[in-house]
Amino acid sequence: MTESATMVAEAAPTPEVKAEGLDFGVFSAGLDEPKALTALRRGAYESYKTLSFPSTKTEEWRYTDLSKVGFESYAPTRPDHEVDEAYPTMVQDVLDRSGDRSGIIVQRNGRVVHAELDPSLAEQGVVFCSLEHAAAEYPELLARTLDAAEPAEMEQKIWTLSLAFSSGGYLLYIPRDVRLEAPVHSFRIIDQAGSFVASQSLVLAESGAEGAVIDEFVSEDIDALSVHSAVVDGGDNATIDYVALQRYGRGVKHFSIQHLISRRDARLGVFNVQLGASLSRGDVSSRLLGQGCDSRMHALWFGDSDQHFDHHTLQLHAEPHAASDLLFKGALSDSSTSIFRGLIRVDPGAQLTDAYQTNRNLLLSDKAKAIALPSLEIEADDVRCSHGATIGQVDDAQLFYLMARGLTRQQAERLLVFGFFEEVLARIPMSGVRARVLEAIEGKIGV
Amino acid sequence: MPQNETIEELGLDEYKYGFVTEDKPVFKAVPGLSEEIVRQISGHKDEPEWMLEFRLKALEVYESKPMPTWGGDLSTLEATLDEIYFYLKPQEQMERSWDDVPQEIKDTFEKLGIPEAERKALAGVGAQYESEMVYHSLKEQWDEQGVIFESIEDGLKKHPELFRKHFSTIVPTQDNKFAALNSAVWSGGSFVYVPKGVKVDIPLQAYFRVNAEKMGQFERTLIIIDEGAEAHYIEGCTAPVYTTESFHSGVIEIIVNKGARFRYTTIQNWSNNMYNLVTQRAMVHEDAKMEWLDGNLGSKLTMKYPSCYLVGERAHGEILSIAYAGNGQHQDTGGKVVHAAPHTTSQITSKSISRGEGRASYRGLCKVYDGAKGAKSNVECDALLLNETSRTDTYPYIEIDENTASIGHEATVSKVGDEQLFYLMSRGLDEAEAMAMIVRGFIEPVAKELPLEYAIELNRLIELEMEGSVG
Amino acid sequence: MSDFVTVARFADVPENGLIGVVADDRPIVLVNREGTIYALEDRCSHEEFPLSSGDVASGEITCVLHGARFDIETGQPRALPAVMPVRTYEVRVEGDDIQVNLGD
Repeated sequence: MTESATMVAEAAPTPEVKAEGLDFGVFSAGLDEPKALTALRRGAYESYKTLSFPSTKTEEWRYTDLSKVGFESYAPTRPDHEVDEAYPTMVQDVLDRSGDRSGIIVQRNGRVVHAELDPSLAEQGVVFCSLEHAAAEYPELLARTLDAAEPAEMEQKIWTLSLAFSSGGYLLYIPRDVRLEAPVHSFRIIDQAGSFVASQSLVLAESGAEGAVIDEFVSEDIDALSVHSAVVDGGDNATIDYVALQRYGRGVKHFSIQHLISRRDARLGVFNVQLGASLSRGDVSSRLLGQGCDSRMHALWFGDSDQHFDHHTLQLHAEPHAASDLLFKGALSDSSTSIFRGLIRVDPGAQLTDAYQTNRNLLLSDKAKAIALPSLEIEADDVRCSHGATIGQVDDAQLFYLMARGLTRQQAERLLVFGFFEEVLARIPMSGVRARVLEAIEGKIGV
Repeated sequence: MPQNETIEELGLDEYKYGFVTEDKPVFKAVPGLSEEIVRQISGHKDEPEWMLEFRLKALEVYESKPMPTWGGDLSTLEATLDEIYFYLKPQEQMERSWDDVPQEIKDTFEKLGIPEAERKALAGVGAQYESEMVYHSLKEQWDEQGVIFESIEDGLKKHPELFRKHFSTIVPTQDNKFAALNSAVWSGGSFVYVPKGVKVDIPLQAYFRVNAEKMGQFERTLIIIDEGAEAHYIEGCTAPVYTTESFHSGVIEIIVNKGARFRYTTIQNWSNNMYNLVTQRAMVHEDAKMEWLDGNLGSKLTMKYPSCYLVGERAHGEILSIAYAGNGQHQDTGGKVVHAAPHTTSQITSKSISRGEGRASYRGLCKVYDGAKGAKSNVECDALLLNETSRTDTYPYIEIDENTASIGHEATVSKVGDEQLFYLMSRGLDEAEAMAMIVRGFIEPVAKELPLEYAIELNRLIELEMEGSVG
Repeated sequence: MSDFVTVARFADVPENGLIGVVADDRPIVLVNREGTIYALEDRCSHEEFPLSSGDVASGEITCVLHGARFDIETGQPRALPAVMPVRTYEVRVEGDDIQVNLGD
């Protein structure tokens, strides 16, 4: 065997992620905003500067190549002062058809254009306002919520990016033992092509508080970049459900990092419904920090054309006697791709842990692709942990049954996708929220 | 805890093969790795020029590849590798008659029960001591049917074309850092060829023994099962207990041709100071069936993921893996199945037990390429934790490019259940007996697959000892 | 459909060596075997690493990353871990120009 002189390279070359187009100096010059927000922004930027974007060599980013996002080509939307204007008809339509709500925040590009809260809740001390307002009036609540999050190393670049360039976003604070009968509903609308919108959803629930949040992400088919970070901190015995309904248009690239914290006996639920965007990456971590707490994480996604969904999850059991469950289900048509990577981590001493993790994928086309990487790291012995992943197709017999009753193949297939999603939909807590999610999925799948 | 006393009685932690035999090698290289050592190994084996070139190129590749950062802790391995002996030749020539094997080597294998194993109607036996095969025999009836069972060195000498056609096509040098290392310094191992249609219905056995301190063993095995043929190959591994670390890094390449069936069984019981980093891979053609039965009981750290590349229609791969990790042990094991043709099927079953501060990790890959219509794969992992300091991990990778594939993965982690214990105790067993019975039941699906002829080691460790402790 | 495009000059590809080129956004590796030029997709079917970083010998191209080998004439895999072929392109030499047929 003749060998050529070519030496062996280390590994695949990894292009640098370019983001120098994001000029923080220009962005932040002359911003007239509360001091707490400026401090937060500058602090985040100091870290951001020293960090690098993870490459595909970082295990958690192996299947989403940040060097192809083109961060530098987007213009960060400058935060404008909150105004109160009529919201778009599309929001009005949704609100008209939804049930009761405790409050509404509408954000358009980088600006909050409408915020309202049921006055009786405001009287009880509930806060639901723009981040700008929160920074001016409740800086200590803002700091407390953000401090509760512990972004992982591989999240930090995007986490700090979202804070440094933050524009818009909200804080929801529910005082001790206060219960929201209806959800608060937030809309984020992007209608400016080429823009980069970074914002936060911060939820702080004191002991015994209860509430639910719907975060909707909306746009037309435009090229835009959306970076979102969320913290949901459930105090002792609190009950919080957080629903993110992502229905951006094609061309949008969406990154969302969500940190859930459950304290003693807290019950937290998170539902991610991913329908839109060209690229959608979600990092969802649930830290179970108190005994007796319970965390439920769910996601649904339906991919068509060349949509790319990448979900990364963590269930971290730091204390004994807690339970977590995760159910992520994706249906993929055309040449869409789905990646699920999830970890159940049980720390030493976290005895009597119950932790489950399930990822199921339906491949509806021969170009669709699914990757599943469920994993377990268990350092306590008195536990019940399991995980499962499946990748398969819709059942032929069911398909033929429906087609024999006059449905086209696509109609039948999509009806079966609904059946596949039902398991998750049934777990969405309030009927109004469930109806809204169902409607959005119907809008996408078009049964 | 009373339950632990009985677990100890199971014998899993008690190492029975830790004795040392006085050795008188005929050649011992200096410790560490260099081009000079590679040339010496090749020179001792009187190899063709192409093999020397192959080894030297592999050394370059080895040096250029970074140490893996996943799997087990390899942080002190580099220092260990500087001190170990990469080549140690125990005798001048390989023997065909057991009587001619030097007495001290014979003593070792007799203590391990090798002649006993041979009497139990094995088709052939190979024994490797340090770096070289010291003994190889094949029963006449198989010889007459054209079966080849030789040391890898004799395979290269006697069957140069067959050897060169397949060597390094299953595990290329560049595949991973340790495959490159093995390619540079390989020594010993078996060369097996089973001709078309020949069914070797009793197992071929190879036995690997490291005796010297600070020894590195790098056996290389190439197995070709021709169309419609059948065979079963078993290997066992032991070493003395030294305070310094030793290193074993084998490469096993297997080709299972159309319609053939092959099973490869490993019972690895290296001493707890051994790094065991092995690449085992099979290419499985149309209608062929490959089974890996992988038992990992010993070593300090094992990283081993037997693989089936299913490249022909309806090829089938099976991996049955059992790991036991006691104090100071990390078993990072699992399996890989790659579906590259229609209607290929696979099954991975993994059972692990972590005890004390032991850590057992399952790491696996299931990959289905676009076009592998109707491929089916199922993975089941069960982990049992015996103590609160024990650790288990599960890391499966599932990559599916084919929409008609059907893939499932399930893993569960549990401790020995109080209900189970309570039930058994209510039937008159004491707690210790009940615990032993549960552990045995957990291992049973794997243990029952082992051939009785090979029970010398594993049966004593698992089956017999457990029965003794229960009865 | 034939769609020949000039991708390199003959002298650019060393005897018994290879180079990587990009034509119409497609990475292509050109191999010169005793004066005959072969063109293959410059992307290993195993992990998409450029084959042009590797070696060529005995009519086979070896991926430098994990050692997968491909027949330079047919693109068929000759060593694991590759199990799928890489695409080959029709080549012609016009004067000093190497032209590759990018048509389907």
